[in-house]
Amino acid sequence: MSGRQAVQVLALAVVLVAAVAFPFWANRTQPYYLQIAINIISFAILALSWDMLARTGQLSLAHAAFYGLGAYTSALVTTRMGLPIFLGMLLGSLVAVVVAAGLGMLTLRLRGIYFAIGTLAFSETLRVVTNQLRFTGGATGLVVPPLLGGQRVPQYLLILAVLLLAVVVSWMVNRSRWHFAFTAIRTNEAVAGAMGVDVVRFKVLAFMISAFFAGITGAYYAHVFLFISPIEVYSLAVSVGALVAPIFGGLYTTAGPILGAVVLRVGEEILRSTVQRGYPIIYGLILALVILYMPRGLIGVWASVKSGLATGRKETREPAGP
Amino acid sequence: MLIFGVLRSGLYSLASVGLALSVGVIGIVNFAHGEFLMLGAYMGYWLFASYGVDPLAAIPLGAAGIFLIGSLTYRSAIQRVLRAPELNQMLLTFGISIFLQNLAIILWTGDPRVATVSYKATAVSLGPFTVGLPQLLVFAVAMTLTLSLYAVLGRTRIGKAMRAVAQNRLGASLLGIEVDRVYLLAFGLSTALAGTAGLMITLQLSVSPFIGLLYTLKAFAIIVIAGLGNINGVIYASLVLGLSEAFVEFYVPQGGGWAEGVFFLLILLVLLVRPQGLFK
Repeated sequence: MSGRQAVQVLALAVVLVAAVAFPFWANRTQPYYLQIAINIISFAILALSWDMLARTGQLSLAHAAFYGLGAYTSALVTTRMGLPIFLGMLLGSLVAVVVAAGLGMLTLRLRGIYFAIGTLAFSETLRVVTNQLRFTGGATGLVVPPLLGGQRVPQYLLILAVLLLAVVVSWMVNRSRWHFAFTAIRTNEAVAGAMGVDVVRFKVLAFMISAFFAGITGAYYAHVFLFISPIEVYSLAVSVGALVAPIFGGLYTTAGPILGAVVLRVGEEILRSTVQRGYPIIYGLILALVILYMPRGLIGVWASVKSGLATGRKETREPAGP
Repeated sequence: MLIFGVLRSGLYSLASVGLALSVGVIGIVNFAHGEFLMLGAYMGYWLFASYGVDPLAAIPLGAAGIFLIGSLTYRSAIQRVLRAPELNQMLLTFGISIFLQNLAIILWTGDPRVATVSYKATAVSLGPFTVGLPQLLVFAVAMTLTLSLYAVLGRTRIGKAMRAVAQNRLGASLLGIEVDRVYLLAFGLSTALAGTAGLMITLQLSVSPFIGLLYTLKAFAIIVIAGLGNINGVIYASLVLGLSEAFVEFYVPQGGGWAEGVFFLLILLVLLVRPQGLFK
């Protein structure tokens, strides 16, 4: 282990300890911060899971669909059938995974813009259907039982654990042979197929992994905020957020989407307290500016700053970003 | 039911033909298309509320205003991503869409506004049927504008230049066509058409910052049904959408809510079964 690696491991450990210790401090002094932290972590999971799908070149606008499926499945089986909440959350993410496999198969042939429009159409169709059906509570929504007795600290630790799981999965994907398969499919699907990459399998797998985390986050949201409605959980804002954060932070990396999610949500909170309405404007502005001026996101900026500092020093850098 | 569907499709044609133009000529799938429509609608509303200008009479002014905003958007943003990957173009226009929508919320709040013109509730009888005068006017004006766009594309120099650029950018520039100016013009025209559709929405429906997305999506549905970039198919595709919505509203119980989902279902079906469009 080189010196630099040791520093990285140490920094990670510090962040982890701080993240675990945070709720015990916040719960006594600043309960509102705990709420925000839960929001940020959920958002980071959505962003990271969206990015894992994007690594295969599938830029989805259906993340809200899996979020909503998770939320509604869990809410329905716990209220209507009286199942325990943990089982409900598991079922919720399972339903999301199964539906994702189906959608993934159906949209295999669609590329780029067609894929985006198709997934958006799918997500909005789910919203309309949930809005119209009687047993989902229709447009009025559903009241949902609380997770872990409504205690914020264990709730926080649970979602932190889910984020850690997502990080581990993302890290493993990027370190394994999957990384090459995903990148090959993203860069040129036909060539990847010709070289023996099982394109269908990897694209659908990425969809399922991505949907698992979106689904479980949706179910978690339902049981923490205790109320869901179609317009909220199937909202385009969920899909948009899940896509802007990775693009802002740095696509196809593990740290990028999380970083993007944290910076965006904190910025949104600050903006929310200064301007009362229209604060999502920041998402539009950042998305446009990032595409125009920093296509590799925050991670890319960081990498070029670092290489700027390191000029003259002989060092082999790992290429970051796409 | 048929009449309703047909009348509605007039507005749909005008709202989506601009997007088809942008896709067909420039190759940009503009997610912010509906936002220009929304801006046009606000322009119509304010001209009416402040100066009593009838939204139909405001069309030249409104179209010019939106043309200007559209051209500005093209120069400051779109132009830079013409050669970028398709997804970057899409994400950029998506960002512009979110930006414009929230700008409208900040400027004019999220409350819906209604412009009540004197003939709003006037009905006209067409043979055995009775239809609202605003609906009929909107249909007539929208159809006239859509058809005149076809005429412009088919007959005039600039129209031919646009079609030439759409077919082959390099070839057109070799013939001495200034591609960049054609693009600018096409994008401005595309947004101005959306803005005009917006002006006409003020005649019959309420205006809010959120209408843009709905029309972007409906316009997507229409150009997907027509086949991306197929400008001539837009009218037929609008008829398909208008009629199927009217059908669902009339024959399905609680149809009003289900009709909201019709265009998504149409998009999904067309993309999955016949991605090149129905009219290509």
